[in-house]
Amino acid sequence: MIVDSASLSEAIDTRTVVTGLKADTKEEVFEDLAQRLHDAGYIDSVDEFLKALHEREAQGATGIGEHVAIPHGRSDTVKRNGVAIAILDHEIEWESLDDTGAKVVVLFAVGADDEGSKRHLQLLSEFARKLAKADVVHDLLQASSQDQVVAALTK
Amino acid sequence: MKIVGVTACTIGIAHTYLAQQKLEDAAKAAGDDIKIETQGTIGIENALTAEDIEQADVVILAVDVKIADEERFKGKKVVKVSTETAIKSPNKLIAKLHEIAGK
Repeated sequence: MIVDSASLSEAIDTRTVVTGLKADTKEEVFEDLAQRLHDAGYIDSVDEFLKALHEREAQGATGIGEHVAIPHGRSDTVKRNGVAIAILDHEIEWESLDDTGAKVVVLFAVGADDEGSKRHLQLLSEFARKLAKADVVHDLLQASSQDQVVAALTK
Repeated sequence: MKIVGVTACTIGIAHTYLAQQKLEDAAKAAGDDIKIETQGTIGIENALTAEDIEQADVVILAVDVKIADEERFKGKKVVKVSTETAIKSPNKLIAKLHEIAGK
Protein backbone atom coordinates (compact mmCIF):
# COMPACT_ATOMS: atom_id res chain seq x y z
CA MET A 1 0.00 0.00 0.00
CA ILE A 2 1.14 3.53 -0.71
CA VAL A 3 1.00 6.04 2.13
CA ASP A 4 1.73 9.62 1.20
CA SER A 5 3.99 11.84 3.27
CA ALA A 6 1.10 13.99 4.43
CA SER A 7 -0.54 11.11 6.24
CA LEU A 8 2.75 9.99 7.76
CA SER A 9 3.31 13.43 9.22
CA GLU A 10 -0.23 13.34 10.62
CA ALA A 11 0.70 10.14 12.41
CA ILE A 12 3.62 11.78 14.18
CA ASP A 13 2.41 13.46 17.35
CA THR A 14 4.96 16.02 18.51
CA ARG A 15 3.86 15.44 22.11
CA THR A 16 5.52 12.04 21.83
CA VAL A 17 8.69 13.11 20.03
CA VAL A 18 11.79 14.13 21.99
CA THR A 19 15.28 15.03 20.80
CA GLY A 20 18.48 15.23 22.82
CA LEU A 21 17.00 12.92 25.45
CA LYS A 22 19.44 12.30 28.28
CA ALA A 23 19.21 8.64 29.18
CA ASP A 24 21.76 6.02 30.11
CA THR A 25 19.68 2.87 29.93
CA LYS A 26 16.94 1.30 27.87
CA GLU A 27 14.73 1.38 30.94
CA GLU A 28 15.03 5.16 31.23
CA VAL A 29 14.05 5.55 27.59
CA PHE A 30 11.05 3.24 28.05
CA GLU A 31 9.87 5.16 31.11
CA ASP A 32 10.23 8.52 29.44
CA LEU A 33 8.40 7.52 26.26
CA ALA A 34 5.70 5.56 28.10
CA GLN A 35 5.02 8.62 30.25
CA ARG A 36 4.72 10.80 27.14
CA LEU A 37 2.32 8.30 25.54
CA HIS A 38 0.31 8.32 28.75
CA ASP A 39 0.19 12.11 28.99
CA ALA A 40 -0.89 12.39 25.36
CA GLY A 41 -3.73 9.93 25.96
CA TYR A 42 -2.47 6.90 24.05
CA ILE A 43 -2.15 4.55 27.01
CA ASP A 44 -4.00 4.16 30.29
CA SER A 45 -1.33 2.56 32.43
CA VAL A 46 2.39 3.25 32.18
CA ASP A 47 3.20 0.11 34.19
CA GLU A 48 1.04 -2.16 32.03
CA PHE A 49 2.60 -0.75 28.90
CA LEU A 50 6.14 -1.18 30.27
CA LYS A 51 5.28 -4.81 30.94
CA ALA A 52 4.20 -5.25 27.32
CA LEU A 53 7.46 -3.67 26.12
CA HIS A 54 9.48 -6.05 28.25
CA GLU A 55 7.51 -9.04 26.99
CA ARG A 56 8.53 -8.13 23.47
CA GLU A 57 12.15 -7.46 24.47
CA ALA A 58 12.30 -10.97 25.94
CA GLN A 59 11.53 -12.42 22.50
CA GLY A 60 14.62 -10.99 20.83
CA ALA A 61 16.60 -7.92 19.89
CA THR A 62 14.65 -4.82 18.93
CA GLY A 63 17.80 -3.00 17.86
CA ILE A 64 17.61 -3.22 14.06
CA GLY A 65 21.16 -2.07 13.42
CA GLU A 66 22.65 1.27 12.44
CA HIS A 67 21.98 2.66 15.95
CA VAL A 68 18.20 2.36 15.64
CA ALA A 69 15.85 0.45 17.94
CA ILE A 70 12.17 -0.22 17.41
CA PRO A 71 10.75 -1.53 20.67
CA HIS A 72 7.02 -2.16 20.60
CA GLY A 73 4.36 -3.11 23.05
CA ARG A 74 0.98 -4.60 22.38
CA SER A 75 -1.46 -4.36 25.23
CA ASP A 76 -5.07 -3.57 25.97
CA THR A 77 -3.86 -0.61 28.01
CA VAL A 78 -3.19 1.04 24.63
CA LYS A 79 -6.26 3.13 23.83
CA ARG A 80 -5.02 4.58 20.57
CA ASN A 81 -2.25 3.15 18.42
CA GLY A 82 0.69 5.51 18.38
CA VAL A 83 4.37 6.07 17.90
CA ALA A 84 6.82 7.76 20.25
CA ILE A 85 10.26 8.78 19.03
CA ALA A 86 13.37 9.62 21.03
CA ILE A 87 16.67 10.83 19.64
CA LEU A 88 19.10 10.29 22.51
CA ASP A 89 21.92 12.66 23.32
CA HIS A 90 24.30 9.71 23.27
CA GLU A 91 24.19 6.11 22.15
CA ILE A 92 23.23 3.60 24.85
CA GLU A 93 23.54 -0.16 25.09
CA TRP A 94 20.75 -2.01 23.32
CA GLU A 95 20.59 -5.57 22.01
CA SER A 96 20.79 -5.27 18.24
CA LEU A 97 21.33 -7.15 15.02
CA ASP A 98 24.68 -5.49 14.31
CA ASP A 99 26.16 -4.97 17.79
CA THR A 100 25.62 -1.22 17.70
CA GLY A 101 23.58 0.29 20.51
CA ALA A 102 20.70 2.71 20.12
CA LYS A 103 20.65 6.45 19.57
CA VAL A 104 17.34 6.57 17.72
CA VAL A 105 14.39 4.86 19.40
CA VAL A 106 11.10 4.54 17.55
CA LEU A 107 8.57 2.96 19.88
CA PHE A 108 5.20 1.64 18.74
CA ALA A 109 2.22 1.31 21.04
CA VAL A 110 -0.40 -1.02 19.64
CA GLY A 111 -3.75 -2.02 21.07
CA ALA A 112 -4.55 -5.67 21.66
CA ASP A 113 -7.62 -5.37 19.46
CA ASP A 114 -6.58 -6.19 15.89
CA GLU A 115 -9.57 -4.45 14.40
CA GLY A 116 -8.88 -1.26 16.34
CA SER A 117 -7.43 0.96 13.70
CA LYS A 118 -6.22 -0.71 10.60
CA ARG A 119 -5.32 2.51 8.90
CA HIS A 120 -3.10 3.54 11.76
CA LEU A 121 -1.38 0.18 11.84
CA GLN A 122 -0.68 0.64 8.15
CA LEU A 123 0.99 3.93 8.99
CA LEU A 124 3.14 2.20 11.60
CA SER A 125 4.20 -0.35 9.02
CA GLU A 126 5.15 2.52 6.78
CA PHE A 127 7.39 3.90 9.55
CA ALA A 128 9.11 0.54 9.76
CA ARG A 129 9.73 0.60 6.01
CA LYS A 130 11.17 4.11 6.28
CA LEU A 131 13.62 2.90 8.91
CA ALA A 132 14.98 0.38 6.43
CA LYS A 133 16.32 3.32 4.38
CA ALA A 134 19.88 4.42 5.07
CA ASP A 135 19.24 8.10 4.26
CA VAL A 136 16.28 8.29 6.64
CA VAL A 137 18.34 6.75 9.45
CA HIS A 138 21.20 9.14 8.70
CA ASP A 139 18.90 12.16 9.05
CA LEU A 140 17.31 10.83 12.23
CA LEU A 141 20.71 10.31 13.85
CA GLN A 142 21.48 13.97 13.17
CA ALA A 143 18.07 15.34 14.19
CA SER A 144 18.16 17.89 16.98
CA SER A 145 14.58 19.17 16.81
CA GLN A 146 11.10 17.71 16.44
CA ASP A 147 10.83 19.36 13.03
CA GLN A 148 13.94 17.58 11.86
CA VAL A 149 12.54 14.25 13.07
CA VAL A 150 9.32 14.84 11.15
CA ALA A 151 11.26 15.97 8.07
CA ALA A 152 13.47 12.86 8.15
CA LEU A 153 10.48 10.54 8.29
CA THR A 154 8.36 12.29 5.71
CA LYS A 155 10.80 13.33 3.01
CA MET B 1 15.95 -12.92 -12.11
CA LYS B 2 12.56 -12.90 -10.44
CA ILE B 3 12.23 -13.30 -6.70
CA VAL B 4 9.05 -13.65 -4.68
CA GLY B 5 8.73 -14.05 -0.97
CA VAL B 6 6.90 -13.54 2.27
CA THR B 7 7.90 -11.69 5.44
CA ALA B 8 6.24 -12.24 8.82
CA CYS B 9 7.38 -11.59 12.39
CA THR B 10 5.99 -12.42 15.81
CA ILE B 11 4.07 -9.24 16.58
CA GLY B 12 3.59 -8.27 12.98
CA ILE B 13 4.06 -4.53 13.13
CA ALA B 14 7.73 -3.78 12.56
CA HIS B 15 10.20 -6.46 11.48
CA THR B 16 7.83 -7.77 8.81
CA TYR B 17 7.96 -4.43 6.99
CA LEU B 18 11.60 -3.66 7.64
CA ALA B 19 12.54 -7.03 6.17
CA GLN B 20 10.30 -6.40 3.16
CA GLN B 21 11.90 -3.04 2.44
CA LYS B 22 15.46 -4.31 2.94
CA LEU B 23 14.88 -7.26 0.60
CA GLU B 24 13.26 -5.07 -2.05
CA ASP B 25 16.09 -2.55 -1.98
CA ALA B 26 18.81 -5.21 -2.05
CA ALA B 27 17.16 -7.10 -4.92
CA LYS B 28 16.66 -3.97 -6.98
CA ALA B 29 20.30 -3.03 -6.41
CA ALA B 30 21.24 -6.45 -7.80
CA GLY B 31 19.03 -5.88 -10.84
CA ASP B 32 16.33 -8.37 -9.86
CA ASP B 33 12.55 -8.20 -9.98
CA ILE B 34 11.13 -8.78 -6.55
CA LYS B 35 7.71 -8.98 -4.94
CA ILE B 36 7.35 -9.52 -1.22
CA GLU B 37 4.06 -10.34 0.46
CA THR B 38 3.73 -9.19 4.08
CA GLN B 39 1.75 -11.16 6.63
CA GLY B 40 1.40 -8.84 9.61
CA THR B 41 -1.12 -7.65 12.15
CA ILE B 42 -2.96 -5.75 9.42
CA GLY B 43 -3.33 -8.95 7.44
CA ILE B 44 -1.85 -9.91 4.10
CA GLU B 45 -0.65 -7.10 1.87
CA ASN B 46 0.98 -7.13 -1.53
CA ALA B 47 -0.34 -10.69 -1.92
CA LEU B 48 1.49 -12.97 -4.33
CA THR B 49 -0.61 -14.29 -7.18
CA ALA B 50 -0.34 -17.79 -8.61
CA GLU B 51 1.26 -16.16 -11.64
CA ASP B 52 3.88 -14.36 -9.52
CA ILE B 53 4.88 -17.64 -7.93
CA GLU B 54 4.83 -19.52 -11.24
CA GLN B 55 7.25 -17.02 -12.80
CA ALA B 56 9.62 -16.80 -9.84
CA ASP B 57 13.12 -18.27 -10.05
CA VAL B 58 13.38 -18.50 -6.29
CA VAL B 59 11.27 -17.94 -3.17
CA ILE B 60 12.53 -16.21 -0.03
CA LEU B 61 10.63 -16.68 3.21
CA ALA B 62 11.89 -14.31 5.92
CA VAL B 63 9.60 -15.48 8.68
CA ASP B 64 9.65 -15.95 12.44
CA VAL B 65 6.21 -17.55 12.64
CA LYS B 66 4.16 -20.07 10.73
CA ILE B 67 2.75 -18.36 7.66
CA ALA B 68 -0.49 -18.76 5.76
CA ASP B 69 -0.47 -20.87 2.60
CA GLU B 70 3.15 -22.00 2.61
CA GLU B 71 2.11 -24.95 0.43
CA ARG B 72 1.77 -22.51 -2.48
CA PHE B 73 5.53 -22.74 -2.88
CA LYS B 74 5.69 -26.51 -3.20
CA GLY B 75 8.01 -27.48 -6.03
CA LYS B 76 9.81 -24.11 -6.03
CA LYS B 77 13.29 -23.41 -4.77
CA VAL B 78 12.59 -22.00 -1.32
CA VAL B 79 15.01 -20.33 1.08
CA LYS B 80 13.77 -19.82 4.61
CA VAL B 81 15.45 -17.45 7.07
CA SER B 82 14.46 -15.27 10.02
CA THR B 83 13.39 -11.66 9.55
CA GLU B 84 16.56 -10.73 11.45
CA THR B 85 18.74 -12.28 8.75
CA ALA B 86 16.89 -10.37 6.04
CA ILE B 87 17.24 -7.08 7.93
CA LYS B 88 20.85 -7.59 8.91
CA SER B 89 22.34 -9.00 5.71
CA PRO B 90 19.97 -8.39 2.80
CA ASN B 91 22.71 -8.17 0.17
CA LYS B 92 24.32 -11.41 1.24
CA LEU B 93 20.92 -13.07 1.23
CA ILE B 94 20.14 -11.93 -2.30
CA ALA B 95 23.56 -13.22 -3.42
CA LYS B 96 22.68 -16.56 -1.83
CA LEU B 97 19.36 -16.62 -3.73
CA HIS B 98 21.27 -16.16 -6.98
CA GLU B 99 23.49 -19.07 -6.07
CA ILE B 100 20.53 -21.30 -5.29
CA ALA B 101 18.60 -20.30 -8.40
CA GLY B 102 21.76 -20.89 -10.47
CA LYS B 103 21.44 -17.46 -12.05
